[in-house]
Amino acid sequence: SGELCCSLPNPKNVHFESINMKNVLHWSAPEGTGDGVLYKVKYLVYGAGKWIRKPECRNISRTWCDLSSETSDYEEQYYASVKAFLNGMCSDWMETTRFNPLTDTKIDPPTVSVSSTEKSISIILTAPEKWKRSPEGESVSLLQVYPGLQYNVSVLNKKTKKRWFFSISNNTLVVPWLEPGTAYCVSAQIHITTPLLHSGFSKEYCIATLNDKTA
Amino acid sequence: LTAGNKIFHFGPCRVSISMTEIRSGFTAIKDNIQARDPIRTLSILSYPHSLHKVKSSDRCCVTHHLFNFYMDKVFKHCKTEDSYINRKISSIANSFLSVKRKLEQCHEQNKCMCGQESTEKFKQILVNYEGLNVTSAAIKSLGELDILLDWM
Repeated sequence: SGELCCSLPNPKNVHFESINMKNVLHWSAPEGTGDGVLYKVKYLVYGAGKWIRKPECRNISRTWCDLSSETSDYEEQYYASVKAFLNGMCSDWMETTRFNPLTDTKIDPPTVSVSSTEKSISIILTAPEKWKRSPEGESVSLLQVYPGLQYNVSVLNKKTKKRWFFSISNNTLVVPWLEPGTAYCVSAQIHITTPLLHSGFSKEYCIATLNDKTA
Repeated sequence: LTAGNKIFHFGPCRVSISMTEIRSGFTAIKDNIQARDPIRTLSILSYPHSLHKVKSSDRCCVTHHLFNFYMDKVFKHCKTEDSYINRKISSIANSFLSVKRKLEQCHEQNKCMCGQESTEKFKQILVNYEGLNVTSAAIKSLGELDILLDWM
């Protein structure tokens, strides 16, 4: 196929790194090759007939390639492969394991907004959006991708250091019977049961309940 | 309802499935089993049409067919040299067996009817399976278990 002789060491650790289904192929440079190594990338929809070259990742010197567009259908699974070139020599094609965007992506924490009254705080949670081709593209919440998505919410009384945990399916939570004029900090995590996935906890969002007007 | 179980509603047929147990069992063996399948350009379950194209009215019958398929044609042909992998496979098979029985009951009670399309769909899966030798076909099917689970 006109390929050069393949005696260059292989790229290593070829794998997808995926966050909210932004799927980027990463690899490490072949051992002992120094500067000047170039790479090309191809990918395949598992079960479909052929490998497809990625033109934007042809003869590149960086060691990553964004394949989010090519792997955006999360009902499919994928393989990707990388070959290295240097001074007329080349490596073998080195493949990923089978990549399943639905189960192999990492999920960002939800965004949290809080408001308060004298004796309660209201929490609104928003799941991250699935990666999209362009800002004008249609927004798809991960809630639509994972119908079983739930939120774990932590509420901390800064004065007493008492903490409550809630697990909710809808995206709003009102925590009643709180102390007036007290600071509370809220943090939340996404939890999906099928497939089993969870995000980290968000940073803490703190708010104080209003002072008791009758006091 | 045991922890990790999920109730699946296939029309009038309701089945409790230990989805978390099956998924964690598969996750433990996925890379090992898929690495034993060198054929990238063929799929048993999603060629030429993805399971996601199955009409909701046919979901019960296709699920019933597939659980029978895995019990009769897949698990028993997936013996490996690795006892850990074999234990995980038999644990998944045990979970499948109880679901298969429940779907069988639904079928006997006419709650899991098979339409033309689901029969055609399953025929295609068998054609794909029979296009490979038994061991390769069984290992490929086992490696595609997440395609079935994601679809369910």
